[in-house]
Amino acid sequence: MTLVAAILLGSERISIFEMTEQGRAILFHIRLPRILLGACVGGSLAVAGASLQALLRNPLAEPYLLGVSNGAALGTLVAFVFLDGYGFARPLLAFAGAGIATFAVYQMAKSRMGMNVERLVLSGVIVTTFLSSIIVLLTSLLDAARLRGYTFWLLGDLSQATYDGFYMTLAAATVGTIVLSSQARALNLMMVGERDAFDFGVEVGRVRMIVFGMASLLVGTAVAASGSVGYVGLIVPHLVRLAIGSDNRLVVPMSAIAGAIFVVLADTVARTAIAPRELPVGAITALIGAPLFIYLLRRANY
Amino acid sequence: MEKNWNSFKRSLLGCVLLLTSLFIGCETNRPMPDGPVSGAFTDDLGREVRIPVPLNRIISLAPSITEMVFAAGAGDRLVGVTSYCNFPAEAKKIQKVGDTQTPNIESIVALKPQLVLVSTASQLEAFASMLERQQIAVFVLDVKKLDDVPDRMRRLGDIFLTKEPAYVAAAEFERRVRAIETAKRPSERPKVFLQISNEPLFTVGSDSFMTELIERAGGTSLTKDISGGYPKISKETALAMDPDVIILSDSEDNKEPNVVLNNSKAVKNGRIIRVNADILSRPGPRLADAVEQIAGSLNK
Amino acid sequence: MLKINDITIRYGPCDVLRDISFELHEGEMIALLGPNGAGKTTLIKALNGTLPASGEILLNGTPLFSYSRREIAKRIAVVAQENETKFPVTVLEFVLSGRFASGSVFGWESTEDLELANKALEECDLANFGTRLMNELSGGERQRVVLARAIATDAKILLLDEPTANLDLAHQAMMFRLVRRRCREAGSSAIVITHDLNLASEFADKILLLKQGTIFAAGPPAEVLTEANIREVFGVTTLLDRHPASGSVRVTAVY
Repeated sequence: MTLVAAILLGSERISIFEMTEQGRAILFHIRLPRILLGACVGGSLAVAGASLQALLRNPLAEPYLLGVSNGAALGTLVAFVFLDGYGFARPLLAFAGAGIATFAVYQMAKSRMGMNVERLVLSGVIVTTFLSSIIVLLTSLLDAARLRGYTFWLLGDLSQATYDGFYMTLAAATVGTIVLSSQARALNLMMVGERDAFDFGVEVGRVRMIVFGMASLLVGTAVAASGSVGYVGLIVPHLVRLAIGSDNRLVVPMSAIAGAIFVVLADTVARTAIAPRELPVGAITALIGAPLFIYLLRRANY
Repeated sequence: MEKNWNSFKRSLLGCVLLLTSLFIGCETNRPMPDGPVSGAFTDDLGREVRIPVPLNRIISLAPSITEMVFAAGAGDRLVGVTSYCNFPAEAKKIQKVGDTQTPNIESIVALKPQLVLVSTASQLEAFASMLERQQIAVFVLDVKKLDDVPDRMRRLGDIFLTKEPAYVAAAEFERRVRAIETAKRPSERPKVFLQISNEPLFTVGSDSFMTELIERAGGTSLTKDISGGYPKISKETALAMDPDVIILSDSEDNKEPNVVLNNSKAVKNGRIIRVNADILSRPGPRLADAVEQIAGSLNK
Repeated sequence: MLKINDITIRYGPCDVLRDISFELHEGEMIALLGPNGAGKTTLIKALNGTLPASGEILLNGTPLFSYSRREIAKRIAVVAQENETKFPVTVLEFVLSGRFASGSVFGWESTEDLELANKALEECDLANFGTRLMNELSGGERQRVVLARAIATDAKILLLDEPTANLDLAHQAMMFRLVRRRCREAGSSAIVITHDLNLASEFADKILLLKQGTIFAAGPPAEVLTEANIREVFGVTTLLDRHPASGSVRVTAVY
C-alpha cells in the first residue's frame, strides 16, 4: 500500500489511466528504482539496528550513531576517489569500512565491567567524529568540484537510484535478513546478558561475529547506494518492539518490512515537500529520529 | 651568512616592490576626468568603507573579482588571490591566500594589503572586524545581476583611480550584451535547461544571474520559477520539462546531460551547449563571452 | 555426575582457586560457603566451562571441554546473580529462552517447551506471571523467574549463585525446598552458593567451606559447621545448637 502511494506521489503528476510515453519513463526509470532502493535501504538499516541492539544489549545502538555508517561512507569515498567509483568497489569498500568501524567501537566500548550505555554511545561519538575528520580531510585535499556530489550524498540521498544499485542492495538485504533472523533465538538470550547466553548454550563469540559481519554488510551496501540515512535503525526496531514485543524472531524480519515502509515514506516526503526541489531523505529521518533518541535516553530505565 | 643573504633578499624584494609601487603611483597620478576621487565608498552591504590613497596592495577573495580587477586595469596591484583565480594568466602567478570559503587570515595579514575585496557575506562580520583592526579595509562586491558587472567595474575604477580602463571595459561589456539582445532571433524562445552538476542533479533557480543570462541570450529558462540560486531538482521534473536546449556548465563532473534527459528534444537534436564552468559561473567580465556563446548556439 | 580433580584458576599472578577436588553425585545438593572473595563464583563459572581451569572436570565421566556449548547447557543450568534487561521481554519469553539448547537453533518452541516453561513458572510460584514484563517485576520476582528459566531447561545439574539474595523469608525457603525436591525426586543435583549458614545446614547434603581459593572443610553440615571452622574461615565467634524442629545444626553469631 505504501508502495502504491509512493508510486502515485511525486513532483510530477502522473495519471496511471492515461499513461504517456513520458509518464512511463518517469515511473519506471526514475520513481520506481528510487522507491525500490529506498525500501531495501530502509530494510537493511532497520535489521542491522535491531540485531546490533540485541547483541549489545542496548536499545540505543544504531548504525549511524555507532559510526558504522561513517565507516561505510569513508570506504565509499575511498572507492570514489582512488578506484574511480562504480561497480563493486563501492559496496565492497563500504562493507570493509563498516566492519572496521564496528570492530573499533566494540573494542572501545567493552571493558572488564561489561558494556554500559554511556561507554557505547561515547565510543560511537568518538569513532564518528574521527571518521568525519578523515572524510573532511580527504574532501578538502581533493578537487572540490569532483566531490560536490559526494558531500550531498553524505547526508543520505536516494536521488541517484539505479536498478543496479537496487539489485545489489536487495541481495545484501535478503542475505542479511535471513542470516540474522536465523540467529534471532540466540539473540533473545544475548539481549538479556552475554553470560546468560553462554550459560544457556549460545556460542557467544560466533554469534557476535555473525551479527557484526552481517550488520556491516547491510549498512555497507545501504550506505554505498544512498549515503548515511540516519536513525532508521533506531526508530524502526523501537516501534516494532512497541507493537509486537521483543522476541527477535519477530523483531528482526518485521524490522525489515517496517524499515522499508518507513524509508519509502520519508523519501516520499523528501521528494514532494518542496517540489520541484528535493530534500535529502537523511534530513527527514534525522528530524524524526533525533528527538526520539532524546526521549528514549531520558526514560529512566535506559 | 645564510641569514644575511636572506635579509638581503628580503630588502631587495622590498626595494623592487617600493619601486614598482612608485611606478604605479606615477601612473595613477594621471589627471582624472571629473567625478569622485578615492576616499570613502559604499559597498554592497551598504557599509561606508574608507579607501587609503595611494592604493597599491589589494587582495581579491573571489575569482570573479580578480577578473574584474584586471579588467578595471589594476591587476598589477593584486598581491593575493584565491587558489581558484586562474584568469587572466597573470593571476596564476600571484600569491595564493586560500580559497573563497576558507581564506587564510594569517597569509592575508602577512601580505600587508590595504584593501581586501570579498564576494560572500558568509562569516564576513568576524572576518571584516579582524582585518579592520589591522587597518585593512574590507570591501564587499555582491554581483547579483548581469548589469551589476559593468557597474561594479566602474566602481572599482573609481576606487583604484583607474577610471579610464575600467569605464572602457564596462562600456565594452554593455555594448556586447546589448548587441546580442538587439540581434535578430527566432520569434519563439527555446526552452533551456541549465545543468550545474550531473549527480546529484543541480540547476539554476530564480536567484541566479545565470537565469537572467539565459533570458538575455534569447532563451527561456525552464527552472526560472524555482526559488533559490542553485536548487537540486527532482529528476522526474527534469524529465518532464523536455528542454529544447541543454546548457552544461562544463567541468570535470559535468560533461554530459543527466541520463533522465536522454529522451529530451535537446539530446535527440544534439542541442547541447557546453560553456566552460569558469566563464559561466563567475559573475565577472567574461559573462559577456558566455552570453555570446549561448546566444550563438541558441539562435542558430 | 560431576567430578572435579585438582582444578586451579589464576588471574594474573595469584591463584583464585587452588587444587580443588570434589564430586557431585546424583541426587546430591551441595552448599558452597565461604567469605566474600573466597572463590565461590569463580568455581561455579569453572564448572560450566565459562572460565578455563587447569586440572580436570568430568561431566558424566567425559571431560567437560569435549562437550559443545549446547551439550553443556542441556546438562548444566545456571542461576546467576540477576541481570536487568532494557528490552520489554515478557516472563514467558524469558523462561522459554532457556530452552535454547534443546530446540533447533532457528526454530520456534514446541508444545513440550511451553509445557516445561509453564510448569517451571508454577513451581516457582509465578503461575500468572507469563505475560508480565521482566523490567516491571520486583527484584525478588525477577530472581524467581531466573530460577524458573534454569528449571525449564530440564538440566540434571543446577548451579545456583546466591539465588536467595533478594528473596523474602517465605521465598527463600521455597527456593531451597524446590531445589532439594528436584534432587530427591527428579534425579537432579545442585550446587548452591549462599551466605545463610542455617539454610545450608537445613537443606544441603554436603557443605564445601571455601577459604582463599581452597577447600577448608567438606562433608555433611554437622561435621563442617563447627565453631572452630567458622571462626577460622569467617573470623566470627558463634554459638551452635540444634534446631528445635528439624534437629539440624543452628548457627548464631555472637557480636
